[in-house]
Amino acid sequence: MVPLSYYLMLSAVMFFLGVLGVMLRRNAIIIFMSLELMFNAANLAFVAFALYYHSLSGQIFVFFVMTVAAAEVAVGLALIVAIFRTKHSINVDQLSSLKG
Amino acid sequence: MTAADVYAILPLIVLGGASVVVLLGIAVHRSHSLTLILTLTGLVAAFLLLPLVSIEAPRQVTPLLVIDSYSIFFSGLIIAASFIITVLSYSYLSQQRGHREEFYLFLLLATLGSVVLVASTHFASFFLGLEVLSVSLYTLIAYSRKEYGIEAGVKYLILAGLSSAFLLFGMALVYSELGTMKLAQIPTSLSNPSSGVSQVFVLGGLALIVVGIGFKLALVPFHLWTPDVYQGAPAPVTAFVATISKGAMFALLLRYFTVVNIHNYPSLYLAFVVIAIASMFIGNLLGLLQTKLKRLLAYSSISHLGYLLVAFLASGPLAAVAVAFYLVTYFVTTLGAFGLITIMSNSDRDAEDPEDYRGLFWRKPWIAGSFTAMLLSLAGVPLTAGFVGKFYLVTAGIGSALWLLVIVLVVTSGIGLYYYLRVVVAMFASLPKGSTIAPAMRISPHFTGALAVTILVLLLFWLGIYPTPILRLIESMVTGFS
Repeated sequence: MVPLSYYLMLSAVMFFLGVLGVMLRRNAIIIFMSLELMFNAANLAFVAFALYYHSLSGQIFVFFVMTVAAAEVAVGLALIVAIFRTKHSINVDQLSSLKG
Repeated sequence: MTAADVYAILPLIVLGGASVVVLLGIAVHRSHSLTLILTLTGLVAAFLLLPLVSIEAPRQVTPLLVIDSYSIFFSGLIIAASFIITVLSYSYLSQQRGHREEFYLFLLLATLGSVVLVASTHFASFFLGLEVLSVSLYTLIAYSRKEYGIEAGVKYLILAGLSSAFLLFGMALVYSELGTMKLAQIPTSLSNPSSGVSQVFVLGGLALIVVGIGFKLALVPFHLWTPDVYQGAPAPVTAFVATISKGAMFALLLRYFTVVNIHNYPSLYLAFVVIAIASMFIGNLLGLLQTKLKRLLAYSSISHLGYLLVAFLASGPLAAVAVAFYLVTYFVTTLGAFGLITIMSNSDRDAEDPEDYRGLFWRKPWIAGSFTAMLLSLAGVPLTAGFVGKFYLVTAGIGSALWLLVIVLVVTSGIGLYYYLRVVVAMFASLPKGSTIAPAMRISPHFTGALAVTILVLLLFWLGIYPTPILRLIESMVTGFS
């Protein structure tokens, strides 16, 4: 049996890798993957503690999160296609036409 | 789930049903006015059901939602604001090319998400309501598929996704220590800690949740998306982001963080004080530097959410009334300001440059007059709704002896007055000789948009001169929710 704290540590590490990915990478699709990593880090913690507490609510919540993440990616990829059409690039540094 | 439960959530069912009807309606017959009528019918039906449902209140419907007078009041506010935005969108979209009907579908879904948010009592309904709102907003912001709109949409998507991830991880941390996902149980679990509950993890989780909430409310330091999204989104969508999305989140924050009794957690309390002061200062100071009207209103909304936090931190019985009343006045004023931008915009761009407003009074006195009223209300000048709202915020702050926050509120409002007045002065200035009128200004206001704005101006003065009826309503519905 793997101790509970290992799950929490793994999920914290995954979460911070995701944060770093969003902050440092400039490719919109990689940023998206990093966001997914952060969502799934939280999912891992939820599932591990749902097992620990013997409660189903944590596990069911993960299904909600997965559905939401899928919807978010569907909209996000559509927006990336749209931005590629206007800028011919998916580098987020190119998104700089809005300013005061 | 009993029949009474289903009855209690009928407004939500109607909103969800209306979005399905609009979706199928578009598939069968694509017509702009028909879609508008279906949308408005759904919103009116949901609104009219609220008083009927309040007979059943308060009622816990499954562990996820609570229908009480507090959530009914804010649902009513959200649905009414959504009605106004739908009407404004009609006059905005009438000038646009391309498919216009799906816009209303996303408006309905975003409204549904906001109503779920104010009624949520559980992490699951909180997260789902928030995401239904956010995902609809990504689409709405990028709806025009012009360069600016898509850029604003991508920026909002990445940052909102990041904040949702923070929120979710915060929920996971709280769940890992307390073993509950019910929002109302968190304070009781905290005050009777069972063995092994680490306060550090819980406070860390709550801090991450505050990051997620602070992003949605555009509080400093989570405000960086605000000016760009306000500028890039179509004017009616900006109105939605500024009012409904923030109001729903603030209602949830008020309900649960008042129960937690924030004064018991000095670190959390201090964090909110710093956020409030920073929002008031940065919102008003950076507002001074803006020339584009939509960016100016973005900084204005940052400072207004900072003002709201003053009453939120006061957390007396008066605080809930002050926050609810201020939200009503903020909704009326902000919708009015963006409504006026909407009716002056044309198919190429939104009217937001200083040239669009220079000398406006001599060409369109009614529009300039209404805009002046809205800006003065945002600044909090007497006889307008904004003044009465700010008066209640200050009273709530003084009642809890939050002197520092109240002083900052008064000082920064004074700074803010300057940039609102600058726009007013520009509207009354005379046109330089030989200059042509900007193309955005040649449009005569669409009838529906003008009607919505007229109603908002009347509401503005009504709330500013005789606010007693609405205050009574708020006192009876909002107090005693905890």
